[in-house]
Order: sequence, then structure tokens, then C-alpha cells
Amino acid sequence: MPVVTATLALIIFAAGTIAGSLGALLGLGGGVFLVPFLNLVLGFPFTIAAAISLTTVIATSSTVSAGRAGKQLINMKLGMLLEVATAAGSFLGGVTAQFVSQSVLQRLFGVVAVLVALIMLSRLRRRNVILDPAADPGVLGGRYHEAESGCSVTYRVKRLPLAVAASFVAGNVSSLLGIGGGIIKVPVLNAWCGVPLRAAAATSAFMIGVTATAGATIYYGHGQLQPALAAAACLGVQLGSWGGMKFGAAASAKWLKILMAAVLFIVSAMMFLRGGR
Amino acid sequence: MKLERLIGTVLRAGVVISSSCLAVGLLLYLANGGALAAFLLNAGIVVLLATPLARVVVSTVQYVSERDWPFAALTFIVLLELVASAVAALVFNRRL
Repeated sequence: MPVVTATLALIIFAAGTIAGSLGALLGLGGGVFLVPFLNLVLGFPFTIAAAISLTTVIATSSTVSAGRAGKQLINMKLGMLLEVATAAGSFLGGVTAQFVSQSVLQRLFGVVAVLVALIMLSRLRRRNVILDPAADPGVLGGRYHEAESGCSVTYRVKRLPLAVAASFVAGNVSSLLGIGGGIIKVPVLNAWCGVPLRAAAATSAFMIGVTATAGATIYYGHGQLQPALAAAACLGVQLGSWGGMKFGAAASAKWLKILMAAVLFIVSAMMFLRGGR
Repeated sequence: MKLERLIGTVLRAGVVISSSCLAVGLLLYLANGGALAAFLLNAGIVVLLATPLARVVVSTVQYVSERDWPFAALTFIVLLELVASAVAALVFNRRL
């Protein structure tokens, strides 16, 4: 367990702020940047880094969803159904993480970081599904008011088993690696299950609080969560994601994504180098 | 959309309480340490972890009162999964 000094707390607070604002700009949780920083740069054991990152995932989810609740962007019924799968995946991941070695986790992180980068690059031009405002959304579908276009958006959920499977995998990866898992769920929900991007992102952000709680509780009980460092990281991420959402609209998402994909490729390579030792 | 507003309130309360505990706890911890700092930091973490749990409890209660049995059952399963992870945490804790 790392020794907490004021300098270390400040470094982690700053790292959290940067990860949180990048996360808000890219529509990610930020854990995918925080975990490698804590593990590779500060040299924390992987599980300690993942535990800190999971608490920031919970803080982000609660903060963002509290602001969005009541605006119908979050599809609560779909979210609660998929949570059954993410929480199960996360529980298993949290238990598994106690039995596998750091090098296995690092190599797994390397694989996921490459996938995240590839998904990000393949989605440079985001598109929405075709929508018929008169359609019946069904039990799991949704309807929300889109501010940009000024019209009401209606959608039905398709291929539910696929969404459930993706949620299980996302939950598992989430608590093993300390990331939110939205990067796995959002593209699947958007590309194959008929959920518009904004609703998919809001619903995923809503779910990751429960997902990360299942994992973080296990790390906390196992004594792998240093509360002072988690506090510094959570406060930093909350400040960062607030700033990212407030000032981020003007930033060019395309170049930011290309830059971050490059960072993730480097992170992945470093994880493989360390994990291969 | 009564449930959405209710969930919004639960999440907001959880965020405010846990962030305040964590912020004050961290400052005290860095200033001199001590029992109060450790208490506030752990209280902040526990409230942080309990917030999504509370949100699931509120949803279950609301779906039961609406007699929406499929969703009452689904949210109850999620609740059981979160309890299972707390139980697993205690098991790991005892082993070490």
C-alpha cells in the first residue's frame, strides 16, 4: 500500500482532474487513463490502481446521472435490466482479480486499451439511427427531447440478448481493470441495438455506478482501497468532468479522439512490456 | 416520472454527502491525520459505495408499489448481486 503524502495526494488529484476532463470530452469515464497512470507512472500495484479508479467511476456515474435524471435521456428500464448482467460480471471480475497475477491484468489492459483506441478511431464520424417519432417504443424503448434538433426522438430496443451479453462482458472487464466499461456497452447499444448515441451514453453512465460498486466493494473489503488516495482521485475526477462538460463543447472532438487513441496505443504497448516481464 | 426524480434526489444527496466527507477527511488527513480524518474518509467511501445501492433499493420499492413485478424482480436481483459482493468482501477480509 503506497504511503500517502501531501505531494502524492496532489499528484493524484491533478491526474484525476485531467482524466476526468478527458473522459467528459470523449464520453468515457476516464478510468482508462487513470489506471495506467497509477500503475505505470506511480508504480502502484495493479489492483490498488483499479480500486482507486473504480471509486472515481462511481462518483462520476452518480454526479452525471443526478444531473440528467428527469430529462428522460437515461433509459432507466433498459439500464436496470442490463444491470443484472453488468453487476454479475463485475462481481465475478472482482473475485477473479484477487486470484490472477498483475502481469495477466496488465496484458488484459493492453488488449482492452487497443480495442478502445480502435473503437474511438472507427467512430470519428458519429451517426444516429433512423427514427420515426410516431413509432411505439415498447416496454424497453424510450422517447426523449433532443435539444440540438429540437425534436422528439423515439427508439425501440433491438437484439436484447446481445445487449445483455455485452453488459456482462463490460461488467467483468470493469472490475478486473478498474474502468467503467461504457466503451464496450455504448458502441454495442448504438450500433446493433437501436439506441441513439446520447441515450446509450446516458444509460451506460447511469449503469456504471452499480457495476463499479459491485467491484469496488470487494477491493475495499480486501483492504486494497486506500481511502485518502481514493478521496484525492474522486475529487479530482469530479472537478475535471465538471470542467470538461462545461468548457468541452467547443473542443474539436475529432482531433482529440485521434490524439487519445495514440496515447492508448502507447499505454497498451507499455502494459505489454511490463506484463511480459 | 416520479421514479426518475426520486433517483435524482438519492444520487445528488449521496454525491454531496460523500464528497464533503472525502474533502474534509482528506484535508484533515494531510494536516495531522488522526481518528476523525480516518473516520471521515471511510464514511465518504461507504456513502459513495452505498449511493448506487440506495438507488437500486428505491427503484425496487417503487416498482413493487406500482405492481410492476418484472422490474421489481430485476431490480431485486441487482440488489442481491450487490449484497453478494459485500458478502464476498467480508469473506476476503476475514481470510487476511
